[in-house]
Amino acid sequence: MTLVEKVPGEVTAASSMAARVIPAVRKLARSPLLLTIVSVVVAVVYLFPVYWMIATSLKTSASLFRYPPQLLPDPLYLGAYIEVVFNSPSTVRALGNSAVIAIGTMTLTLLLAAPAAYALARLRLRYTAWIVLLMLVAQMLPTVNISLPLFAIFSQLSLVNTYVGLILANTGLTIPLAIVILRPYFLTVPEALVDAALLDGCNRWTAFTRVVLPTTRTGLISAGTIVFFTAWGEFVFALSLATREEMQPVSVTLSRYIGDFGTQWNNLMAISTVLALPIILAFIALQRFVVGGLTGEVDK
Amino acid sequence: MATMVRAGAVARSLPRAASRRRRRLNPNYLFLLPATAFVLLMAVYPLAFNVSMSFRDVDAGALIRGDAEFVGIDNYRKVFGGTAIWQAAGVSAVYTAVSVILILVVGFLLAMLFRKRFPGSGTIRALLLLAWILPSVVSGNIFRWMLDGDAGIVNFVLRTLGYPENIYWLTNESTAIVGVILATVWSGAPFAMILIIAGLLAIPDSVYESAAVAGASAWQTTRYITIPMLRPVLLTAAILSLIYTFKTFDTIYIMTKGGPGGSTAVLPIFAYQQAFQFFRFGEGAVATTLLLVIPLVMATVYFILSRRDQEATA
Repeated sequence: MTLVEKVPGEVTAASSMAARVIPAVRKLARSPLLLTIVSVVVAVVYLFPVYWMIATSLKTSASLFRYPPQLLPDPLYLGAYIEVVFNSPSTVRALGNSAVIAIGTMTLTLLLAAPAAYALARLRLRYTAWIVLLMLVAQMLPTVNISLPLFAIFSQLSLVNTYVGLILANTGLTIPLAIVILRPYFLTVPEALVDAALLDGCNRWTAFTRVVLPTTRTGLISAGTIVFFTAWGEFVFALSLATREEMQPVSVTLSRYIGDFGTQWNNLMAISTVLALPIILAFIALQRFVVGGLTGEVDK
Repeated sequence: MATMVRAGAVARSLPRAASRRRRRLNPNYLFLLPATAFVLLMAVYPLAFNVSMSFRDVDAGALIRGDAEFVGIDNYRKVFGGTAIWQAAGVSAVYTAVSVILILVVGFLLAMLFRKRFPGSGTIRALLLLAWILPSVVSGNIFRWMLDGDAGIVNFVLRTLGYPENIYWLTNESTAIVGVILATVWSGAPFAMILIIAGLLAIPDSVYESAAVAGASAWQTTRYITIPMLRPVLLTAAILSLIYTFKTFDTIYIMTKGGPGGSTAVLPIFAYQQAFQFFRFGEGAVATTLLLVIPLVMATVYFILSRRDQEATA
């Protein structure tokens, strides 16, 4: 605005005009409005693939191959969802499997990881450094490395194709993740609080469950959500440890819509959206917790 | 703290059995024990089991009975004698190196853009993390669709910009790796961005102010102040991305299953195929044993560096 108003009024030498214009351009480049616009454009472009998944899932088979591609689905068509979800008992069953595995993993992980993270943060024990190292390394293991021997071990124990097997396998990798996320939260609990609880007649355990846990609710939500996301979308364990279709979660069964002679893209994107939707919604609703947990930025 | 140290010294001076009993009596270990035992049982024991399998002749029957015969280094000889593992190692090296470099570059650019606060900056930053948190199965399939040869939107954009023909990205041996790297970078870069933003915010304003006083240009400030001061953060981001990219299985399996012609078969895909497609569990175990050494080295480096970092800041 300032640029347009000032420049025409100036009839002096070109150099003085440049002297006025260049700072104005610089100022514009630094203005929060422009920054906001550029950032929003970049974010929209970056997240286009997510939009494209949803848009494709709402198209008819005919409009999928329209040239140029339709940016907005027209007509808006829910047929893909009806076909792959509502009229497909196998998808409904797979969704149930995903839910059982994710909720089971989340529950077991929090039960085991919360006391451990607290002990690693606050109780002065020997070997703490070694156990932290174990957790860091375990979190970074390639899943294939575990799933291959686990398939052999579980075969002998008849745990292949069972919820228990899948939940145990997932939890082995999510405990380290949860401990790494939770530890900073426990570090923020004032030691005086625990000491006061101990004086009031609590033992270490009840001080933990009654005093420490309630003050670290944010951390528990954060770790629980991230563990849930991880287990809900988990693919490698599910692929190798659930060989029977009745036991497979959605992350594995969606490959059914990838055909050898061409893929029904609207169906595949519909089922992908169904798989992604709980994560997208929970992520938006719990954004503060999730981002804090992922980045280790703990605000009290 | 002092009493702890003293108690430790006393415990050490006691006979062995007594000190062991003493340790068992410390109830605080009960907080730690279940999780540690669980991780040892579900993550560390399988790794050991895996090493043992790599020295045995494991077919489907022996796998279930658990009586596979010990064959020494036969599996190693077979695997390393073939060409497939070397191809897989090469693909892994290219895929990991290119992906990590691009993740850092894109993450850095995003961080430079999103480090400033403006209305909604926090929300946008968090939304970008969606790319990272989305299951690989989902992002892999989205990119498969966008890179489709006939109706993919990527080809539409390229055609609009003047490229004369459709590229069959994922079914062509020379371009398939580009496709999987693209998907990997897309989901990995936002995580690098978050790490780098934290690093950028830790650089004191006074440094930039004195640079401005000295008349440094934006490029000079970035090149000689921002990047050198970000070095520890960039290193952390690089090592973490390296570890996560090196072990990638699902994105690639979903997009190409390692094909065409093994051109995207990284080591994890190779190991999986040996075991679950050809039922050569012994040979698969060789590949995963190899797969283990590299992340272990990287994780150790990361741990040492982050501890040094902690000590430096503490």
